[in-house]
Amino acid sequence: MTPYRLSSGGLVDRSKPLSFSFDGKEMQGFEGDSLASALLANGRLLVGRSFKYHRRRGILTAGAAEPNALMTIGEGGRTEPNTRATVQELYQGLTAQSQNRWPSLDVDVGALNSLLSPFLGAGFYYKTFMWPAALWEKLYEPFIRRAAGLGRATYEADPDGYEKSWAHCDLLVVGAGATGLAAALAAGRAGARVIVADEQSQAGGGLLSETATIDGKAAHAFAAETLAELAALPNVTLLPRTTVFGWYDGNVFGAVERVQKHVGIPAAHLPVERLWRIVAKEALLATGAEERPLVFGGNDVPGVMMAGAMRTYLNRYGVAPGRQVAIFTTNDTGYALAADLEAAGIPAAVIIDSRSRPAPSGYNGRTRIISDAVVSDASGGKALSGITVRTRNGSETIKVDALAMSGGFNPVINLACHRGGKPQWSDEKATFLAPSGLKGLSLAGAAAGIDGLAACLEDGAAKGTALAESLGYGSTQPSFGAVTGEIAPAPAKPLWTIKGVRGKAFIDYQNDVHRKDLGLAVQEGYGHVELAKRYTTNGMATDQGKLSNVNAIALLAEARGVSPAEVGTTTFRPFYTPVSFGALTGTSHGHHFQPVRKSPLHNWAKKNGAVFVETGLWYRSSWFPRAGETGWRESVDREVKNARKNAGLCDVSMLGKIEITGADAAEFLNRVYSNAFLKLPVGKARYGLMLREDGHIYDDGTTSRLAEDRYFMTTTTAYAAGVMNHLEFCAQALWPDLDVRLASVTDQWAQMAIVGPKARAILERIVDADLSNEAFPFLGAAEISLFDGAVHGRLFRISFSGELAYELAVPAGYGESVADAIMEAGREDGIQPYGVEALAVLRIEKGHVTHNEINGTVVPGDLGFGRMVSSAKPDFIGKHMLAREGLNAPERPQLVGVVPLDPAKSFKTGSHILAKDAAATLENDQGYVTSSCYSPHIHSTIGLALVRRGSSRHGEEVMIWNGLRDEFTPGRLCDPVFFDPANEKLHV
Amino acid sequence: MSKYRVTLRPALDGKQPIQRNGVSLEARPEGTLLHLLAPPSTNELPCFSEYAANLSLRPVSPGQWFAVGDTALPHADLQALASSLKSEADIVDQSHGRIRILVRGPMAMRVLAKGTAVDLAIFPVGHSATTLIGHITAHVTRIDEDAFELIVLRGFAESLWDELVQMSLEFS
Repeated sequence: MTPYRLSSGGLVDRSKPLSFSFDGKEMQGFEGDSLASALLANGRLLVGRSFKYHRRRGILTAGAAEPNALMTIGEGGRTEPNTRATVQELYQGLTAQSQNRWPSLDVDVGALNSLLSPFLGAGFYYKTFMWPAALWEKLYEPFIRRAAGLGRATYEADPDGYEKSWAHCDLLVVGAGATGLAAALAAGRAGARVIVADEQSQAGGGLLSETATIDGKAAHAFAAETLAELAALPNVTLLPRTTVFGWYDGNVFGAVERVQKHVGIPAAHLPVERLWRIVAKEALLATGAEERPLVFGGNDVPGVMMAGAMRTYLNRYGVAPGRQVAIFTTNDTGYALAADLEAAGIPAAVIIDSRSRPAPSGYNGRTRIISDAVVSDASGGKALSGITVRTRNGSETIKVDALAMSGGFNPVINLACHRGGKPQWSDEKATFLAPSGLKGLSLAGAAAGIDGLAACLEDGAAKGTALAESLGYGSTQPSFGAVTGEIAPAPAKPLWTIKGVRGKAFIDYQNDVHRKDLGLAVQEGYGHVELAKRYTTNGMATDQGKLSNVNAIALLAEARGVSPAEVGTTTFRPFYTPVSFGALTGTSHGHHFQPVRKSPLHNWAKKNGAVFVETGLWYRSSWFPRAGETGWRESVDREVKNARKNAGLCDVSMLGKIEITGADAAEFLNRVYSNAFLKLPVGKARYGLMLREDGHIYDDGTTSRLAEDRYFMTTTTAYAAGVMNHLEFCAQALWPDLDVRLASVTDQWAQMAIVGPKARAILERIVDADLSNEAFPFLGAAEISLFDGAVHGRLFRISFSGELAYELAVPAGYGESVADAIMEAGREDGIQPYGVEALAVLRIEKGHVTHNEINGTVVPGDLGFGRMVSSAKPDFIGKHMLAREGLNAPERPQLVGVVPLDPAKSFKTGSHILAKDAAATLENDQGYVTSSCYSPHIHSTIGLALVRRGSSRHGEEVMIWNGLRDEFTPGRLCDPVFFDPANEKLHV
Repeated sequence: MSKYRVTLRPALDGKQPIQRNGVSLEARPEGTLLHLLAPPSTNELPCFSEYAANLSLRPVSPGQWFAVGDTALPHADLQALASSLKSEADIVDQSHGRIRILVRGPMAMRVLAKGTAVDLAIFPVGHSATTLIGHITAHVTRIDEDAFELIVLRGFAESLWDELVQMSLEFS
């Protein structure tokens, strides 16, 4: 047995020993231990070094608020820094390392900081490292960060899995102590859907540390029985090891479940952590109360501990806190601890009670009591050696090796304040309570400021019953029998400033903020609670001031001579305790980082050797390299030339496709497009321009009329969803009187562009219809059959390349097979697949625009589309704003072509246009290159650009300026249509 | 007869059903899936079952349904159905655009809760909702006490399948 482990008592299983290591030293604990309890059982008091002064620190609490015992757990990719030893369950083989020390925990060079402490007070960063400014980033900050700090994250990949899940309930009970269990039982028995979330490894909260009995049963046995009943109820879900960390809009609570943080080698099929989003009709916070430290000198010496924590280590884990124990209290809980110590055979040496009153009636122990007294200082190095007790009559030094302190209790109200509510000061309770009148959330038990086990059980049962009733579940309030042997905390007498303190009296342990720092903040004008927090760092870092905030506020209040109510609190925000990035990421990493959207021609492209490029979530074929080609340009040049000489096949399935039906579909289109659509004949396609209300172009595409009341619209790939939303809004909100129905059919059709002079000959071999120019001219659109009626599809004679071209749509499942057939049918004609790179070259050669040019700032006239703005239509979206003066100004950037004067020179998209001899300045900027490529037909780089008055400057020499690379290319503005300006090829 | 042989390639080609403890995943046959579009005020399609008894209806939005079936409807039959139903609803064929995945078993809800915010426990049989499963939009219908049918865009079908395999891993 380890030196401080009691031979009996507690809830650990002494028949199941577990080995673990701390800083390389092998130790033993038991199943049921926390890492902290196991360390204490091994007599390990010194477990960490403080943030700034590197002071020796021991375990202070037994829960989530722990500021000192932060450790790095695990190895390799499973390394987890800043783990609270008080929360971490012990498992076989656990390895823990202390942090913020070098070369070792016992001998730490950083402790020299303590000697410099007169210079390291609040705000020292701001005062000390002012000059020279250049050294801040290079020297001061890296040095400070190295010297002060927490653990270090690993650079290795995390081998474990994480996931997220939603949950829904009538009632979420946060905390499974006496209050929470009573409430859950009441609502669960009534039939409500209840979720009980508890952050500890074992549900039961304070019941697991309590020696009072309930209806004659041990408190922990009562907890186990109640949990068993709850677990058996089908409408109740228990979430152990689950911390509810935030309250969000819609009464959604964020919680993180430590599914496998208590095992050495996690099972691969389970996540290690699961992030819950819990949607609750009502929530009840049964989160209990946090015990307040007392601010005396040396209150951080290892061996000083919260009284409640000491009681937990004693009663739950069977660990003796020391041989000579003192208890410094401002309320009656100190006496409960004293009684438990006596019962365990470790009589407390002394109780120092700040109040002037007799021991509570429930206490019959023999410990010496010094009332109306305080501990002003604790002394010791690696372990506590003595305390100084001051009374009205003088002071006394007492040798002890453990000191419990209790300054009263702060209800844990964090969640209740996450949505803007401010904590309310209570003079009666001498602490902050949750704001009242919260919707969907209430508090019970100690979290509501109620003292004592019996009262908490009663309150939990009553509130659980009332909430169930309010949710429509009739219920009888459970009763639990008499609570016997309890010493409740009340009444507390707040004790903020302790007189006669000599050593450093810490308020915020984690940030090394001591009493004088707050005084300094007030003295220097940073007395406002928000300023004091930033100035002193009180309440920051991983514990977020769980132990320190109320003490800090009360001491600020005293320094300012006002009430704590007037000082108020800083803003409470999620997260209540730190949440790992893994849990927040869930499964969204690696293969599951984001969905992949695959074209129905994906496999066809893959087997033809496509190189894919991510376009949003789509994987598009970029080019199709062939053996012997040395780079992408060579492949693209070949694809482009072949498309203009023979034929090419390009996958355009990603274009948005929307089917529009209804008696008023024509009128609807006429209103959403700027050009006329009312009289588009059946069997015809038309290019359409869609404007925003502000007159700027939103999207473009072709729309074909397949029947009197049926249209097939295409959109750009990027705006497919946006246009669908826009049309739905127009149909549902703007013109609900129109009979128009919309269906997104993007995924229904595999769509292929068959492009080039031989396109018709190839298609005629598979399409059943007459494709002659007379029967199916440019802009024809028809529902057709293929392969002698085996497949039914749609054919559109439209062209983005300027060639004789068709777009063939077939049901997606046939896509690959039809593309194979086209390749086979076109083999003798030299058909080749081409990708989006070649598609871009073909369209730039032809001067066709995409969203490179439709960049959100252009109106139709800027792109030479003035004729596509109908003057005859009474209205269409964008019509009225288009008349604004600024949108018709002659100085507007306009679409223009641009080429280098020397064909051997090149330029990049994004380069800016300067007048020929102008200096390269922002003031002289005349526009920029929106698209560019190498054209194997022009034999040089060509570009499209938006240039001031561009359309009237064809032939003008300019300078193309790439400011990022400091490149200057002399160029000439020209007609944006580089190829077949008369459009003769379209109509063959 | 054309010399070219065309074949269908299902979006979830090669994905074998997954059977885990308490939940199974299965790609439904790519048969028929018709999008029925009626005026938004339409609450029901009284003639539909008369003309298409072998198709089941899934509500989509006011005045819109998906009609689904395991076998493909020949082109001529679809044309005939469209004209028969013309007075009630327009039909847009989505048989290739939407893929159906069946998630079945007592743990189906637990699996789907990892993706959707819809409270499936109070979701009556026959009800549908369009929701996100993780990052992917899907149309969910409770077709039986322990069975949910997901309808997803074809392009996302493989990704959704991969997600469901991951989401159900807990029950392997």
